[in-house]
Amino acid sequence: MTNVAPLFSDPYRQQFAEFMANRHEPDAIARSRRTAFDCFEALGLPTRQQEAWRLTELNPLQAIAFQPPTHAAIDAQALPALDTPTHRLAFVNGRFAPGLSRLRELPNQALVASLGQALLTHPERIEPAMNRLPGLENHAFALLNSAFWEDGVFVHLPRETVVDAPIHVVFYATGDDNAIHPRLLLVLEDHAQATVVVEYRGAGRYLNAPVTELQLGAGAVLDYHKIQEESPQAFHLGGVRVQQDRDSQANLHLLSIGSQLARTDLQALLDGEGAHCSLNSLTLVRDTQFSDTHVRIEHAQPHGASEQIFKSVLDGKGQTVFDGMIHVRQHAQKTDARQVNRNLLLSKQAHAHANPRLEILADDVKCSHGSSTGFLDPDAEFYLRARGIPTDQARALLVHAFANDSLNRIRLTPLRERLNRLLADRLTLDITEEP
Amino acid sequence: MLDIRNLHVTVEGREILKGIDLAIHPGETHAIMGPNGSGKSTLANIIAGREGYTVTEGEILFEGKNLLEMDPEIRACEGLFLAFQYPVEIPGVANLYFLKAAVNAVRKYRGEPPVDAMEFWDLVHERMELVKMDESMLKRSVNEGFSGGEKKRNEVFQMAVLQPRFAVMDETDSGLDIDALKVVADGVNALRGPERSFLVITHYQRLLDYIVPDHVHVLVNGRIARSGGKDLALELEKQGYALYNEEPGRARRAA
Repeated sequence: MTNVAPLFSDPYRQQFAEFMANRHEPDAIARSRRTAFDCFEALGLPTRQQEAWRLTELNPLQAIAFQPPTHAAIDAQALPALDTPTHRLAFVNGRFAPGLSRLRELPNQALVASLGQALLTHPERIEPAMNRLPGLENHAFALLNSAFWEDGVFVHLPRETVVDAPIHVVFYATGDDNAIHPRLLLVLEDHAQATVVVEYRGAGRYLNAPVTELQLGAGAVLDYHKIQEESPQAFHLGGVRVQQDRDSQANLHLLSIGSQLARTDLQALLDGEGAHCSLNSLTLVRDTQFSDTHVRIEHAQPHGASEQIFKSVLDGKGQTVFDGMIHVRQHAQKTDARQVNRNLLLSKQAHAHANPRLEILADDVKCSHGSSTGFLDPDAEFYLRARGIPTDQARALLVHAFANDSLNRIRLTPLRERLNRLLADRLTLDITEEP
Repeated sequence: MLDIRNLHVTVEGREILKGIDLAIHPGETHAIMGPNGSGKSTLANIIAGREGYTVTEGEILFEGKNLLEMDPEIRACEGLFLAFQYPVEIPGVANLYFLKAAVNAVRKYRGEPPVDAMEFWDLVHERMELVKMDESMLKRSVNEGFSGGEKKRNEVFQMAVLQPRFAVMDETDSGLDIDALKVVADGVNALRGPERSFLVITHYQRLLDYIVPDHVHVLVNGRIARSGGKDLALELEKQGYALYNEEPGRARRAA
């Protein structure tokens, strides 16, 4: 039968055996890798027959035999920087690059380190946290990551620890056919506070399958930014798991610009009273780019709030998928959950798929969702032109305004300003005259 | 300055303007009055270059050039301005940024360098006084959340900054209370001069108490039914448009 998607289990099994032979790590970690791999083998790679993967075009990915990543050295110039002091961790093909990193002094007991190093120095802090959050249990690429992660970032902030400087993580990938599985594990204990920027960049046709776990204790505050600016040939299939205790606040920003195929599955569990999760996502696609965001916000406790704003700008034959589920458990009364999806089409060949969903089991909640897809407003375009602004510039201004609304929600000024410029460059718009 | 000659315009196959002749010279202010559906806004839109209108006959010359061949932005760069009846809200584009982009687009067209930041700021502040606009409106998105009066004031403010040679005011008075109307009229009057002309389109005579026109034209059913001096507006105020609607055959053509 040729219509059955290949499972690739044999090459994966061999790769896994070779991978494990070289690892020397605590038993608990090794066990969790085996469990994940077994699950992956049982599942195989997703196919479009599965509802959650119905719209994701995986054929180009499945045609490639991805290999364990090769070693590479890159120039510091290739890495993005933030114009502010940061705790900086850089990775090349999934491996920590100390020469490109810079770790600053931290408050007492706080830990910001490469996962590989932290596993040697502080295994007791990692074991109880790693792979413990619910969600993505059947996500093949998240399982592959749990089996094959080599390195990544570990952030552990004890109670009431506030790290002021942003933690800036750059995953740079290079080389065709490399499969990279970066891992980011972040534990904020009660009332801890941090700002994290994770950037994905690269050159070549590689597969990047990162998994991020964000655990927020009571009253913790996290600003997390995922900037996906991979190479145009790359595949990016990432998972983000979030768990929030009472009164914690997670401000999550997702920007998807790169990759031929990008997908992020994000699942947040609001598992304490009064937890607040805000999700701000901007996706830009052009040519034949495909970018997919699957989100599930699970309200498990009363008085929680979540707000999601998903925006896409689609040009060429670009496609986006937004699949957003808000699930409110019976016990989660007084939940306030909002979701907005807006797609701006710049081309008639572009296609935005939207699938907003609500599942509400509690009876005293405020939930809303809305989705709209459309072209630029011709009246607005005419208004600008009637003031002397040429068509191209008028259109760019309107697109910029649409997308910039997302970027302006980012509180971290140096990042916001850099992304403003990136957006303007992409739209060939001169924003230097911004008052 | 603006010559409209035998202009016939259709919208979706229906003839709206049925042969308009109108000559506006430098320094003149003309008013066009008429009932709903007479073609007033069509005339404003065709002058500004909005899509969806087809000229089947006739021409418009702006300072001797064929206006109908120009894109809307070129018309603006040539010195033409339309104050919109319904100004468009543009979320995310700050008023000041928009204005500067417009000023610089016009300067670029004329081969001039971008406006000096300080110079621009001074001009903006001076013009803001003119329409009694609050500085906070500069930072707000274009027309977003503006009241009806604020939107119209913003139109006059833009005009004051862009300093066109010819401006069409499309029902700038509609929806304004008397105080806002005075502010808008003061703004327009302050810009009147020997080199600048206006075409003021309105449904009501009231505006013309404050912007006193040199010529008044009555537009009925796609034709200029009558032209005269400023007193014509007062006459219309007393008699209404009914006279023209009931006896279209007796209405006089504009000279």
